Amino acid sequence: MAEISATERPADLLDRYRRNAGLSHGDLWLRYFELGGMDDALELEAILCGAIQPSAHDREVIAHALNERFVEIGGNHPVPYSEIDAERRPEEKHGP
Amino acid sequence: MISRHSEATTSCPVPYRRPNRSQRRVLALSQPFGGCPIRCQLPFVVAITPAPGRAAEGCDAEVTAPKDPLGECAVSIGFVNARAALAIRSEVDRVNAPGLGAILDAVIERHRSVVLDLGELDSMSGWGLGVIAAQASRLRRSGGTPTIRSPSDLVLRMLDISGVAEPPHISRITAISADTDVVDGALRLVVALARATVGGADGVSVSLRRHGHLATVAASDQTISDMDASQYATGEGPCVDASVDGRWFHAESLDTETRWPAFTPRAQALGINAILSSPLLAEGRPFGALNIYSRTAMAFAPKDQELASVLAAEASLMLTSAGVDVTDEQLSSRRNEALGTRRLIAQAEGVIMEREGVEADDAYSMLCDYSRRSNRPFRERAEDVVASTKRPQFDPEPGPRQSHYG
Repeated sequence: MAEISATERPADLLDRYRRNAGLSHGDLWLRYFELGGMDDALELEAILCGAIQPSAHDREVIAHALNERFVEIGGNHPVPYSEIDAERRPEEKHGP
Repeated sequence: MISRHSEATTSCPVPYRRPNRSQRRVLALSQPFGGCPIRCQLPFVVAITPAPGRAAEGCDAEVTAPKDPLGECAVSIGFVNARAALAIRSEVDRVNAPGLGAILDAVIERHRSVVLDLGELDSMSGWGLGVIAAQASRLRRSGGTPTIRSPSDLVLRMLDISGVAEPPHISRITAISADTDVVDGALRLVVALARATVGGADGVSVSLRRHGHLATVAASDQTISDMDASQYATGEGPCVDASVDGRWFHAESLDTETRWPAFTPRAQALGINAILSSPLLAEGRPFGALNIYSRTAMAFAPKDQELASVLAAEASLMLTSAGVDVTDEQLSSRRNEALGTRRLIAQAEGVIMEREGVEADDAYSMLCDYSRRSNRPFRERAEDVVASTKRPQFDPEPGPRQSHYG
């Protein structure tokens, strides 16, 4: 499992977490939608590839959707809930 | 390895340079391209440059590694069976437009289904529009289907104005779905691998649940297909149980097997004496099975059982990536569940907004933090909040921590 560095671009970081969580874009979108996300699947994919900057709220929903998956597979909320949060814990290198 | 100059046909010299690491992109250039027999190791990025002088010699395009984008147009090309996908990665201008036209020409010669990915372009010049419009029109005239993938709003509008965008030819698809032939080919490979590597295996098949029914999508021979069909017909057997229960089923010897009274005699009549069925799982949900049959009782040793599990896990991953793991009814059920949770969360947000006098996003953050701190799923915490409206006072976190929502 590749380590996740907090110095990566935010979008790359989120997408790396998605891959480490074993979720396809479609899987993540359904989880994101379930937790109240408002963007469609295309927009979410655009966020994950860095084409669109997510709002703080969307960032939080995506992070929580990923974290719920990590909890299911034995992790403990590794995904920072905001970019500020990500900067605060650069020492963490999480994966499932 | 990319073909060397000397390997190209004399009528079509193809100068090239191996791209450096940063220039590589995901690309499959696996078939002879136009009149140019280009072979290369994947992934690879090519850039085309106009080659007007060579067109008369039958050369479709000159292919080089990208350098300065000025005067060149970086294009990634991929082929999946009969479908070609091209991603234009740099602006099209007067200088490189003829080259792009030439490369599209060559692709259209061979492919009737062409996907043009414009996702990396913010806008498009008149030269680019002209080339794409001309080639799209040519492809349609020859009975083909051009598809524009991921255009930006501006590019979509420009294509629309220029008449290129003719629904349903234009679509903002996010991904090219896995070609069924490719998936089936990969499954045949899994079957062949299992047949060759699992000790005692006389026949192998892969069953998938599609449209509510199990179906064999790959089998080593007709007897094995018949064996699967017998299980579907009787509604019992290790393959059916593994596909439904998501557990591993091993019939060591059909002589002593009692779990599937209707199916077992049929299997014995076809000469089968041992069966090993491993579930195919996506996120813990079963959607099919890898079935291994043997004519010999007690044929599968522990290492063979382990190998079967590994192959089933790999097949599961491959099928999940290809998006064929979820059945219609599972998807429908999952979507309904998601809608239910979404509604519940909205209700919980409303309760918190009213109680705490905060905005919706803040209410959501409170719920989120609350879920994270308690290490319980968001849905459960939302249920707590909504259920609390039925009590005089909602206590979010019984015990020492008494703060609101985190």
